[in-house]
Amino acid sequence: MSVSADPYTVLGVKREATQDEIRKAYRALAKKLHPDLNPGNKEAEERFKQVSAAYDLLGDAEKRARFDRGEIDASGAETPRQNYYRDFAEGGPRAGAQRYESSAGFADFAESDDIFAELFGRQGAGGAGGAQLRMRGADLPFHLHVDFLDAVNGATRRLSLPDGSTLDVAIPPGIRDGQMLRLKGKGRPGIGGGPPGDALIEVEIMPHPVFRREGDDIRLELPISLSEAVLGGRVDVPTPTGPVTMTIPKGSNSGTILRIRGKGVSRRDGTRGDEYVTLTITLPKDPDPDLENFVAGWAGGKRYNPREGAKG
Amino acid sequence: MLEYEEFCLRAELEGGVVEAWIAAGWLIPEPSEGARRFSEADLARARLIHDLHEDMGVNDEGIAVILDLIDQIYGLRRSLRDLSAALATLPEATRTRIQEELRTRRLPARA
Repeated sequence: MSVSADPYTVLGVKREATQDEIRKAYRALAKKLHPDLNPGNKEAEERFKQVSAAYDLLGDAEKRARFDRGEIDASGAETPRQNYYRDFAEGGPRAGAQRYESSAGFADFAESDDIFAELFGRQGAGGAGGAQLRMRGADLPFHLHVDFLDAVNGATRRLSLPDGSTLDVAIPPGIRDGQMLRLKGKGRPGIGGGPPGDALIEVEIMPHPVFRREGDDIRLELPISLSEAVLGGRVDVPTPTGPVTMTIPKGSNSGTILRIRGKGVSRRDGTRGDEYVTLTITLPKDPDPDLENFVAGWAGGKRYNPREGAKG
Repeated sequence: MLEYEEFCLRAELEGGVVEAWIAAGWLIPEPSEGARRFSEADLARARLIHDLHEDMGVNDEGIAVILDLIDQIYGLRRSLRDLSAALATLPEATRTRIQEELRTRRLPARA
């Protein structure tokens, strides 16, 4: 650490090195050791001082020649530099460089954690004793699977939050797939007395085995027997609020659509959409000899053409 | 605060060079009543740019990258310093707990 260390050794060059070699050696060392590139590294600073002093001497051909002839020695060649930039930065002994400092590269930390939001979230350069940071808390995103009928009729669901607490979410009747629910103030706490963020709940409605939804209306296919189709009758039909009895008119076809008023999806004004029932005539599972005999002897069955209007 | 001429003199830079550095955003003088004023920090930064250019042979593109990274590092160091000061105010047990947590997190990286 001696100040009068041999400048050739300090720069790691031979005595007969050219000026260009000396300059190159100095550049390589300066890149590694410059105090502004090594904030907080005392050792680098000490070595940089020696390297600078050595280059002061050897970098100048005239001074170097005098040194080589023994006219001057290495001591006293070190002229301390006044300040480095780092002394002004990061709230060092002399402040003033804050406006150059950037935390833009750490914004991801600010998003992930309250403490880091406080650290890195400050806007630009605050300067010494800048204004107290007051920020609204972050919104908390959730994804919620809602049963089809809960979405139609409304329900209350309990969410478990990451911190172990729970949150009761009222699902309004008639909510749509992909709709966002915003629970005010249920997000992350605010910073510096700022208001808390909101919980943002994205709703995904699960499909139903029987019902389909079209806007405010419910659609379903209802299998009916051949005799119900031919003779008409009263059948039980499922609706979102429970089964109702519906009259099937005499002579109903497959594809006939019947409407049940007010059994669809709840609307905001308290009314409901309708349920549309599409009839599907369904023969018995196993072939029925009686039915076959009857149809074979049924003269009318050969006289009408159901494909009349369906010619290519 | 330094006037423009005094700044150039003390930074041992020609006016044209200083103008170019300001235009590049490497130096940001404070505007005050029409005239630009420079701080001691600006002076030290100018010396750093000078060192990068002259002593280390970095070209203009390289200097832009280095300054950007340096500004990030100093911003990060300030944040770490603040964090460390904030941690120092915590009770002993909490700080020990944080220390242990950090140790376990760093173990796999060493292996």
